[in-house]
Amino acid sequence: MNIEQHIKDSLTQVAQLANCHLITDIEQDTVLLQSGLDSLGFAMLVAQLEEDLGIDPFSEMQIAIYPRTFGEFVKIYQLALKA
Amino acid sequence: MSLLQRLEQANYQTTAIAAECECSYSELINNAQQIRHQYPDLKHQTVAVRFKDLSNFCAQILAFDGWCSKLYLLSDKALLPDDITLFPDGVSSIASQPEHRELLSKEITTHWFMATSGTTDIPKWIGHSLDSLTRAVKINVNNAALRWALCYQPTRFAGLQVVLQSLLTGATLVDCTNGDAAQRFTEMQRGAVNAISATPSLWRQLLMTNEMLSLPLKRITLGGEIAGQRLLDNLAALFPQAKLLHIYASTEAGVGFAVSDKKAGFPLNWLKQGHNGLSFKVDSRQHLWLKPPQKPDINLADRIDVEGFLDSEDLVEVTEDRVHFLGRANGLINVGGSKVQPEQVEQVLLQHPAVLQARVYAKSNSVLGQLVAADLQVAPNHDVKTLKLQLIQHCMASLARYQLPTQLNFVDNIATNASGKLSRKREDKE
Repeated sequence: MNIEQHIKDSLTQVAQLANCHLITDIEQDTVLLQSGLDSLGFAMLVAQLEEDLGIDPFSEMQIAIYPRTFGEFVKIYQLALKA
Repeated sequence: MSLLQRLEQANYQTTAIAAECECSYSELINNAQQIRHQYPDLKHQTVAVRFKDLSNFCAQILAFDGWCSKLYLLSDKALLPDDITLFPDGVSSIASQPEHRELLSKEITTHWFMATSGTTDIPKWIGHSLDSLTRAVKINVNNAALRWALCYQPTRFAGLQVVLQSLLTGATLVDCTNGDAAQRFTEMQRGAVNAISATPSLWRQLLMTNEMLSLPLKRITLGGEIAGQRLLDNLAALFPQAKLLHIYASTEAGVGFAVSDKKAGFPLNWLKQGHNGLSFKVDSRQHLWLKPPQKPDINLADRIDVEGFLDSEDLVEVTEDRVHFLGRANGLINVGGSKVQPEQVEQVLLQHPAVLQARVYAKSNSVLGQLVAADLQVAPNHDVKTLKLQLIQHCMASLARYQLPTQLNFVDNIATNASGKLSRKREDKE
């Protein structure tokens, strides 16, 4: 499955579980901190993706890049999965 | 000397609190004196204060330290002890009489009380003195130019430390206690802060704004959770000139220490030589013990050994040259700096008719340090997906967001130990 779609689906699921109200459309340039997902929701998303994909790029990331937008977030997973 | 006397003596000409209407040090001192004049009956009495507005909160602690015999900082109204008056609700104001004014100069030593975090229904009130609370404050002429972002509730130990540090050094406080990371960041920008004390979890979220360099940070302080090397490296790379500290604090012991070498954990030789008046030791169960220069609160007597060391109940690992923190020995889960008692979450889960058995534990998480996870044994014939949602909603009704179990595993069997209790071996470590 397309990784971006998978992350989007997980995000919707997690938002429902965490009772977060997402802004209607999550696009490439949606700023994560303004997406409606709070820190708990974001932490849950990373945990859920670790379960699904077997990786948590944030636990090993050595460089000072923190994703600002949804697009950057997806990219980090795409790169980590290729590595 | 009381807090008010110290500020009167220092006579700072700077802004004490930056808000919509700024509050200078002289206004703050006036407001505190006003409170003493207006409520003379509180002299030598016990009073409790809450935090709603930073200017009022600071004026109140200035008024009551040295004036009331006991001062309770309430983080939650529900914690108010029965026989204690909450200021200003339960207090009658009287116009000050001349004889009261005369008494204003005679100050006493106030006992401060803060509730321990993470306890279940009965909070433990731990006493502090202004001296023990301000032991870590270093007065330096350059500090008056700092603008501190207050990110913690000031009724908690970590928040009060920021408030006292800022007030006693003539610096400016900016209230950033509300909202999510994005809102707090906006407050920081608006308040032009150059010093931030926050949990590692909040720091990670602030880094996600990608705009941290818009804040000219001179002071970076991490506390309330274990500060990992990667986060320290990231912050040091971003702000090479800033003073970078990670703080270890035991609210209960009323002690803390700061590590300034930009490395996780603390140097091994502190175990032998002590550090800053504090002595350390590690026992065979890997618990860190601390011996503060002042005697800890009497409430903690059962955790103090014959040599005067207090069991911090924090687990550590000793390596070649460093002592690293692993987490809490008593199973408390630390979700982004907020402590969760697993038993409390288990009790809530068990109230749901479908749940037969529950075990709650910490799960490592790269965003918030730890999350709450639960293994559940449930009655047969339940649709797993529907039940999950129901259970989360059920928990939301009686738990705070950070206490919610974010991972629910349905299992066939939950292990109990020989005495029939849930086995609580540590699932994971940092």
